[in-house]
Amino acid sequence: MNRKRTDWNRLLISACAIATLALVLFSVPACKKKPTVEPIDPPVEEETGVSVDLTTVPYTKLSDYRFFEGEMKNQVPAEKVIPYQPASGLFTDYAHKKRFIWMPNGTQATYNGDHNVLELPVGAALIKTFYYDNVQPAGNTRIIETRIMIRKSSGWVFANYVWNTEQTEAYLDMNGSYTNVSWLENGVPKSTAYRIPNQTECHTCHKLNDEPIPIGIKPQNLNIDYTYEDGTQNQLQKLVAVGYLQNNLPGNIVSTVNYMDQTKSVDQRFRSYVDINCAHCHAENKHCSYRPMRLAFSETSDPINLGLCVEPEEVIDAAYVYIIKPNDKNRSMMHYRLGSVEPSERMPLLGRTIVHEEGLQLLEEWIAWKQTCN
Amino acid sequence: MKINFTLFLLMGMPLLSHAQNTCATALPVTAGTYVVTAVDGTEAPTLACALNGLTNVTAGEWYTYTPSANYTVTITTDLAASAGADTRFHVYSGTCGSLVCVSGDDDGGSGLTSLASFNVTAGTTYTIAFDNRWSASGFSFELTESPIVVPPTPPITFTANTFPAISGNYGLATTDMNGDHLDDIVTVSASSVQILYQQISGAYVTNNIPTSTTMFQPSWSMAIGDIDKNGFNDMLYGGGSGVTFMKANATGTGYTEISGTEYVFCQRTNFVDINNDGNLDAFSCHDVDPNVYYINDGSGNLTYHQGGLGDHPEGGNYGSIWMDYDNDGDQDLFIAKCRGGASTAKINELHRNDGAGVFTDVSISSNMADPIQTWSSAWNDFNNDGWMDALIGASSTDDGPHKLMKNNGNGTFSDVTAGSGWDTNPSLNIEHVSFDFDNDGFTDVLGGGNKIMFGNGDMTFFPMVYPFTNGAVGDLNNDGFLDIRNGNTVYMSDKNSNNWITINLQGIESNSNGIGARVEIYGSWGKQIRDIRSGDGFRYMNTLNAHFGLGTATVIDSMFIKWPSGHIDQINNPTINEPITVVEGSHPLSLLEVDGKKIALYPNPTTDYLTVENFDLLDASSIEIYSQLGGRVMNTEMKDAKISLTGLTSGRYFLVIHTKNGEKYSESFIKM
Repeated sequence: MNRKRTDWNRLLISACAIATLALVLFSVPACKKKPTVEPIDPPVEEETGVSVDLTTVPYTKLSDYRFFEGEMKNQVPAEKVIPYQPASGLFTDYAHKKRFIWMPNGTQATYNGDHNVLELPVGAALIKTFYYDNVQPAGNTRIIETRIMIRKSSGWVFANYVWNTEQTEAYLDMNGSYTNVSWLENGVPKSTAYRIPNQTECHTCHKLNDEPIPIGIKPQNLNIDYTYEDGTQNQLQKLVAVGYLQNNLPGNIVSTVNYMDQTKSVDQRFRSYVDINCAHCHAENKHCSYRPMRLAFSETSDPINLGLCVEPEEVIDAAYVYIIKPNDKNRSMMHYRLGSVEPSERMPLLGRTIVHEEGLQLLEEWIAWKQTCN
Repeated sequence: MKINFTLFLLMGMPLLSHAQNTCATALPVTAGTYVVTAVDGTEAPTLACALNGLTNVTAGEWYTYTPSANYTVTITTDLAASAGADTRFHVYSGTCGSLVCVSGDDDGGSGLTSLASFNVTAGTTYTIAFDNRWSASGFSFELTESPIVVPPTPPITFTANTFPAISGNYGLATTDMNGDHLDDIVTVSASSVQILYQQISGAYVTNNIPTSTTMFQPSWSMAIGDIDKNGFNDMLYGGGSGVTFMKANATGTGYTEISGTEYVFCQRTNFVDINNDGNLDAFSCHDVDPNVYYINDGSGNLTYHQGGLGDHPEGGNYGSIWMDYDNDGDQDLFIAKCRGGASTAKINELHRNDGAGVFTDVSISSNMADPIQTWSSAWNDFNNDGWMDALIGASSTDDGPHKLMKNNGNGTFSDVTAGSGWDTNPSLNIEHVSFDFDNDGFTDVLGGGNKIMFGNGDMTFFPMVYPFTNGAVGDLNNDGFLDIRNGNTVYMSDKNSNNWITINLQGIESNSNGIGARVEIYGSWGKQIRDIRSGDGFRYMNTLNAHFGLGTATVIDSMFIKWPSGHIDQINNPTINEPITVVEGSHPLSLLEVDGKKIALYPNPTTDYLTVENFDLLDASSIEIYSQLGGRVMNTEMKDAKISLTGLTSGRYFLVIHTKNGEKYSESFIKM
């Protein structure tokens, strides 16, 4: 059944491609000159620009949104589709990511605190593409999926698009699946049975109480420069400049850093890392808020919220006496869990099946740096 | 380096010792405080008398202590001078090279310091060794002598027994796999199943069975039961993204994988006959969606269902337990639930089985709709009044602590936590499971803090700390006392003088394992009850045999097995202190009589033929014979009262007569 549908979609794509080619060759006005050929049909105008029709989204194909210009796999954003990148990113088995934001004409987001998600207007879309470079054996780039969150008047909805082998289109698939990927990470061969999440898995992380919400798009994460097509600019300023963000930001924004940025303190780097990787569950009103950790950047200036010298409630082994023991990774539960790939013990539980070596190393640096319980 | 202690004593300073490097050169100490500058002695302890093994132990500091009188001695590093230290010590008797553990501790003091008290005998030399398991840094320790305090005698003790043969990733089960009712040790890996078969001799025979690389592994939980009634148990792996069934072949020597295509974030899994058709179905808690279950068509084909058994759209389902709380003979479902924030997914649920696959959510009316953040609950009749009570075990105190709920016998439960011992037990855990570990006739709970909370039979409990943590519970030496598995170590019960009985079930019309059966024993204590459960606590798979402790009682007046089929077997005066296997229908509640004439089998035991006395009084449609393992060995429409047993090997069998009006009569016999 699904197979047939895919084939049908492929036919449609081919048809669309031919139609598009024809339009390019003969230009739109050329079509308009022949209204009498099919007098019953209303005149068809080639639509341009992004399309997010809240009454019909999520569309069956990623291309239907027209978020990208040219070949879609190049991920060149259309006009008003603005790329962004949080200071620190979520680790998902070393997948690379491209993120974009789009809002309907005349709408804008509002600031709601440094560490809260921007209040995005109805109609806004967040687009995040997951891909790998140096995919073996050919060394090519492979786009796996593009996840979209759309703000409807009733709240956020998820739409996940899985890319085809030809990398020409991505199709809506909310059922989740696995795909094997092997690639070189800094020259080191790695592989994973990559998990494309289903609707429920999306929701497990993207929620506040039971309501779906975005995670990364917070002022604290965007208060760094990004290199746009037209130059480098602070990302919040850029959003203001394009009219996407109300221009009432405070002068000082308590901000996360890039956890790989060696010029920052290990404390800032580690706290930024756990914010983006852990705080979607370990914060108030989140999936695991019954556990003692509070791992949002705004809360970890008090290290007790990181679990420093806090006894774990779930015992895996008597060796792990504290969630983090100062200067002793061997007695730190967090170190065990970040280094585990066992599905019931690893942290995060979702989105990771292999160990993030750099993240684990950062934790070790922080543990070595933190010499006392205070 | 030798220190002149007298000099230090005279100077009123604490003793500074550069502790000795080996057992042979251990430094004698008496009561007092000593400074250890570093743990760097060349001889490392090789026998751990404290938690956390011998990994990274490369150095030791050795002392001897010979008391002049009998004392209760306390050794502690929990001193101001040891602030921030992470110490560990062992106390031995015996001589170097043949030391025996007396005491020891790792983290019993404040912070990560160590503290242990133990009784010593005048004139005996004890060896004290500190090690560098966690740190080689210096610290101080104090040895104090006090008048002898006799510690409370533990109701039961355990001895660690290592099974070097055990290997594999998931050591979750201590369950009989081959139908001999002796609990086996099951360890599962991605592409193999290892079973250590317990023999009647007490020995184990190891079988490593290669399997396909399973799509899901039991990373969250495991359940065991015989879904196709072939006499060999099958397995259910509860994975983070789905369910895998492993079906045993006809000889138990291989397993066929059947993995569901559905996304299931499994938590506790169970085998249970949900629709009471005689075939085991499967259930899995779903962390983030409504619960799922798989209905068995009788041929071992399992059909996926979702809905009707815990339907909160956000899930929150962690610990499912199937038991009969209303004593109506069918299996009800309690779900221990957990979820952060304001979500209502954390509210526990009780679903009453109304028969015929109909369930009613009675969480609120029963007083069980509690928001406690719990991953498991322990159900047993803690006060022997004939009704299943519940300990709702907190995994976090965010939404309330442990709660002990007494079954009122009228469909409701009352909170009796205050004064029960659970109100003062600070140990949280994801595992809570109830058995009678000391066979005193009162059920206990194994929960957090390496503690067994021993039941007093009156809804009160007292704690006793052990060196093991939660694990599969079974009788791994068939002595009637329950043992606890931690990986490849079994904490084997040392037994006590209490009497016991173990009841092994063989279902015929009901599922083979008798899962869902209610077992009752009556005697001087009144009444005791058990439910047979596949999937208890959070993660593990325990014995499927019913274990009862009798305390000092020596007689069981009567015993009843209430099978899921509705059959009831009654055995009067069963022999105690040994296991008994009950085949479904083999001891009918009242011997069948028609018109005052008894239907019976003779001769029994027999050799070649079996005759059914007064057979003509039955309007029989067919006769079946089952082996003790549950396999059907004969099915005949022959109406003759005389049945040839040619071809049957020696053993115990079970004969079922079906009548034309749908009745079923059964009796066991032995072929010589």
